[in-house]
Amino acid sequence: MYQLNDQQIDLILADLRQRGIETESMRMNLLDHICILIENHLDENGDFAQFYATTIRSFYKDELRELEDEARLLMALNKGCLLLSRNQFFLLLFALLIGPFITYDLVWMFKTGSGWFIPSEIWVSTFVFALYPLLVLLVLFLTPDRFDPLIPHKAKILLGGRSLIRVLAMDTAQ
Amino acid sequence: MYIRCTNSFTMTYSPELLKGTLKTIVLKLLADNKKMYGYEITQKVKEMTRDKIQITEGALYPTLHALEADGLVTTEVEYIGKRVRKYYSLSPTGKAATREKLKELTNFMDTMIALLEIKPKMA
Repeated sequence: MYQLNDQQIDLILADLRQRGIETESMRMNLLDHICILIENHLDENGDFAQFYATTIRSFYKDELRELEDEARLLMALNKGCLLLSRNQFFLLLFALLIGPFITYDLVWMFKTGSGWFIPSEIWVSTFVFALYPLLVLLVLFLTPDRFDPLIPHKAKILLGGRSLIRVLAMDTAQ
Repeated sequence: MYIRCTNSFTMTYSPELLKGTLKTIVLKLLADNKKMYGYEITQKVKEMTRDKIQITEGALYPTLHALEADGLVTTEVEYIGKRVRKYYSLSPTGKAATREKLKELTNFMDTMIALLEIKPKMA
C-alpha cells in the first residue's frame, strides 16, 4: 500500500485547482477519491506521478472542469436558471445590443411617416453605435473552434444563479 | 460517458439508459447505508452489480453536489491528515424523495416491461 505524503497531497490539490475545479467541496471530494485510489492501487515503490496522471485522466472526457460544469448544470435545472444553447445566446445578445438601434430607426420611420426615408445622420449614428458590438458578436460567433475560444462550439450558457452568465464548455447530450 | 456499464458477456448497457437513474441509485444506497462517501458509493455499486455498472467520478460528484444543493442530502466531514472526507446521508426531505423516486422508477420499469412485452425471468 502506497503512503501519500503532505507534499504530494498539496501537489494534487494545486493541480485540481489549476484544472479549473473552483468549488472547495468538489476539490476535497476529488482529492479524497484520488488519494484512496493511489493508496489502494499503487505499489509501495510505484511511480506516483505516472499513476496520478493516468488516474486523473480517467475522470473526464476533455477537461476536468466538466465535472464542475455538470454539477452546475444539474443544480440549475431545479433553480429557475435559464440554460441557453450557443445560438440562442447569440440571438439574445444580438437582440439586446443591436435591437435598440433598429427599433429606434423603425419607430422614427413610423412616427414621422417618412416611409423608408431616414436622414443620413440617423443611419450614420446607427451604423457607428451598432457596428462595434456587431463585429464583436460576429467574431465570437464565427470562431468557436479557435484556440481558447470565449464561447466554444458545444457550449451551453447558464443565465442566473450565483454568477450572472456562465459558459459551460460542454455537450449536455453526453 | 459518465457511467461505465459492462457485464461479463459482450453486451453493454448504454449510458443513456442509466443516466436518469443515477440520483435514485445514490439515494437508495444512502437510505440503506446511513452515511457514505464518494469512493465508497462507487465501490458499493460495483460490488452489488458484480462490475456490470461502474459509476464514474465524473457522474457521481456532480450528482452528489446537486443532491446537496437540493437539500436531499446532508454532509459531515472527517479530517484524515491533510485530507477531508465528506460523508453524505439522507435529509428528511431526501428520505421522502427516495421513496418517491423508487416508486417512480418501479412504475417506469413495469410500464417498460408491459410496453416491450418482456416476460420476467422465473427464479
